[in-house]
Amino acid sequence: MAKVGVYVCHCGSNIAGVIDVEAVRALAETLPDVTSAQSDLFMCSNSGQEMIKQDIQDGKVDRVVVAACTPRTHEPIFRNTCEAAGLNKYFFEMANIRDQSSWVHQHDPFGATEKAKLVVASAVGKAARLKPLEDKFVDVTKAAMVIGGGVAGIFSALELANLGYKTYLVEKEPSIGGIMAMLDKTFPTNDCSACILTPLMVDVGNHPNIELMTYSEVIDVDGYIGNFKVKVKKKQSYVDWNRCTGCAACSEVCPGRTSDVFNQGMSQRSATYIHFPQAVPKKAVIDMDACISCSGRRVGTAPTIDHKTGFPILAPCENACPSGAINLSINYDPFGEVVEVAVGTIIAATGYKVMEKDAFKEMAPSSPNVITALQLERIISATGPTGGQLLRPSDNTRPKTINFLSCMGSRDVRHHTYCSRICCMYMVKQARLIKEKYPDINIFIHFIDVRTAGKGYDEYYTGARRMGIHILKGKVGGIQKVGDETLRVLAYDMESQENIEIESDLVVLATAIELPESTKTLAQTLGLQFDGSGFFRELHPKLGPVETSTQGIFLAGCCQGPKDIPDTVSQAKAAAAAAAIPLAQGHVRIAPTISEIHPEKCSGCGICVPLCPYFAITLKTWGDRPRAEIDITQCKGCGVCTATCPSGAIVLHGFEEEQIMAQIEALTR
Amino acid sequence: MSIQLSKEKIDEAILTIIANGGEGILQCVQCGACSAVCPGVRAGFPVLCRLLIKKLQEGQLEEIIEETSTWGCQACNRCTEVCPQGVRPLEVVFAFRRYQAKELAISTSSTLVQMTLYERGHAVFTDAQALRESVGLPGKAPTSAYDEKAQKEIQTLMDNSPMSELGLF
Ligand SMILES: Cc1cc2nc3c(=O)[nH]c(=O)nc-3n(C[C@H](O)[C@H](O)[C@H](O)COP(=O)(O)OP(=O)(O)OC[C@H]3O[C@@H](n4cnc5c(N)ncnc54)[C@H](O)[C@@H]3O)c2cc1C
Ligand code: SF4
Ligand code: SF4
Ligand code: SF4
Ligand code: SF4
Repeated sequence: MAKVGVYVCHCGSNIAGVIDVEAVRALAETLPDVTSAQSDLFMCSNSGQEMIKQDIQDGKVDRVVVAACTPRTHEPIFRNTCEAAGLNKYFFEMANIRDQSSWVHQHDPFGATEKAKLVVASAVGKAARLKPLEDKFVDVTKAAMVIGGGVAGIFSALELANLGYKTYLVEKEPSIGGIMAMLDKTFPTNDCSACILTPLMVDVGNHPNIELMTYSEVIDVDGYIGNFKVKVKKKQSYVDWNRCTGCAACSEVCPGRTSDVFNQGMSQRSATYIHFPQAVPKKAVIDMDACISCSGRRVGTAPTIDHKTGFPILAPCENACPSGAINLSINYDPFGEVVEVAVGTIIAATGYKVMEKDAFKEMAPSSPNVITALQLERIISATGPTGGQLLRPSDNTRPKTINFLSCMGSRDVRHHTYCSRICCMYMVKQARLIKEKYPDINIFIHFIDVRTAGKGYDEYYTGARRMGIHILKGKVGGIQKVGDETLRVLAYDMESQENIEIESDLVVLATAIELPESTKTLAQTLGLQFDGSGFFRELHPKLGPVETSTQGIFLAGCCQGPKDIPDTVSQAKAAAAAAAIPLAQGHVRIAPTISEIHPEKCSGCGICVPLCPYFAITLKTWGDRPRAEIDITQCKGCGVCTATCPSGAIVLHGFEEEQIMAQIEALTR
Repeated sequence: MSIQLSKEKIDEAILTIIANGGEGILQCVQCGACSAVCPGVRAGFPVLCRLLIKKLQEGQLEEIIEETSTWGCQACNRCTEVCPQGVRPLEVVFAFRRYQAKELAISTSSTLVQMTLYERGHAVFTDAQALRESVGLPGKAPTSAYDEKAQKEIQTLMDNSPMSELGLF
């Protein structure tokens, strides 16, 4: 006979504020098999846990039911309590009387109390029939993968590599660096972005534990925590990177032209190009969409032989390359080269994109003098299209008046309701940088309200006011074009309660940060979910900020939500630490609350195979006939197979028929 | 001067506006985009869109009942177009105007207009006889302004409409 102990928690006022805890405890006392029924203000506190341990050690109870908040956060805590007292930890059952009673029936204390009694009775019925279970363990591959080589990916990779784990860093562009590589200087210290980022990029490139896979994309992920198999596609570049020295001779001769994405479309680049001057690795690629086959030869065909010289007639880029790295005779292969790597854990650090100005019709997006803040960042950057000179796009003259417009697409029900978190700070930064260099330029920043909550940030903002930068409270409603060059900003000053119109030579839109469309497919490949704002969802907004609901896959940087560089780096290091735990442990635990097939009862009908949502079941021939088998590393214990097996051959441990029946009986008595 | 905030007054103001068609009033976050584009505000009527909403959210229903700004709304609806919170400020302005009309607190700027409409069939009328003749047009334009029969018809119509209850004509 089982001896069940029931412990009812007040959860401060979370439960006791609605439910009559004493009535629930008293009811528990009367239930069959119950040998101890107590209550406590906080069961998860030390005193609460001691209560359970004491009863176990006294031999009073050998099954434990805690009626409290939620198994999501607290089941592991109480399982450990049981284990510490020498009891099999699967002899524990939780009755969720907070989420299921006190919270949902707040306005009906009597009904909530009655329901809580039922929930407890059902848990007791199950607990009395629980069987001991043992955790299972599988070995892990001691390597990690980081997807995305922005500042988040760079820090995650370095951290893991420094811990001694082989780390693959996959980046879709030819170089790592991400958006931080495009920035001029960075708040709140105004140090030059390239100066602090480039050495780290070089470290990544040289680290013996990091295998850099740029110009590559993850196309498939198979397996589970500890043992992932990842297929990575290396895009075809037409340049042999073993030979390419990054001299850029090819791009100098290439006549193909296309918009330079790195410069945010503010300049042109050739079809064969190096991502940016400090690129790591510094290797050229040929962008086939921009190649104009200038030599008259179709890509993928052999060059014709000059009948006079007897030498092949090569394209200019092939000719220019001093190390003979370019070969246009190779057939175009849309699939690229696919390699498979085995890793134990994965960090997604795929970053963000900024909204384009076209989305804001009322802001005269057709004017070249209305630009996004990221475009301004390129204009003021020493490596940008104007060599760091602040010139407005329409006529390359220096603007006399600049207006910064906040919340373009952020905090707006027509686009994104969230705050993009970084724009207030970067607008102040850009205004300060410009004012420092050109004190005569008149600068206005329009805010709904200023959000500068980071360390040292408010001082930075106050400094901007002291520099004579005009900060106006009020969202700009629209922009009118006055002639070809000038813009009229229709603003409002909330303090004076008046409309203001400002003639402006340059308008900068702080457009919202969002998840790029391309990473949505990646999310499916990794089995990630999205949050209400469209970013990758973390396991728990407070307690699981780098974990995801897919075990072994972690998040870092702006793909999890908008954040600045300090926050990105903190999260990247946190993600690396979390991703290193399974690698350090060398094995991962598999909860035994999963399904098992009893082969002697299995008829081999195969019905369960396609139904399993996690593809955990296969048919194997055992002796004379096929029978189903479950891969314990894949099974999530959802119970779909158990419920469908016509032969009753599948048992879901921890949720066996007898246990469920006892629960139903208790609930329907 | 300071205003006294009280729950009763706030509730009364909000419910009055909602009852008169300004459902979005609680959604406003006071960003000011509506006022930035409002031609009425630009013309010098400050208590439109954002500030009107602000005052109503503070419960100042009676305090601003004589406010003439609301009658400056041109119903251009630009505020609705730019509002990032889906407030539809024009509807709040009109809700407040309905409240003002029901309480017979109609600004002189709009009573004059209605009286002119009653008398001449034009809300805004300027006599242009001399100007017209100087460019060779007949002095009297063929409108109700110079046509007694048409004026009578308009007056009959207005006398039989709810507008007559305002007692302006
Ligand atoms: C105008 C502007 C100014 C800013 N100024 C500052 C500042 O002064 N100070 C500050 O602290 N912050 C600033 N920020 C914020 C800063 O840019 C971010 O905090 C930071 O870049 C986030 O880094 P990340 O690695 O998360 O993302 P990203 O920089 O976006 O990096 C993501 C990387 O992943 C790659 N990638 C994407 N998808 C895939 C895929 N499927 N497979 C492989 N690779 C992929 C991308 O190519 C990219 O290299 C500014 C932002 C803007 C827009
Ligand atoms: S950071 Fe500032 S500008 Fe950007 S969305 Fe938030 S409040 Fe608006
Ligand atoms: S319990 Fe769910 S996950 Fe496990 S084998 Fe059955 S159907 Fe698949
Ligand atoms: S509809 Fe009225 S309140 Fe709205 S912007 Fe136009 S004039 Fe102003
Ligand atoms: S634009 Fe909308 S949210 Fe902003 S002040 Fe006007 S009504 Fe309020």
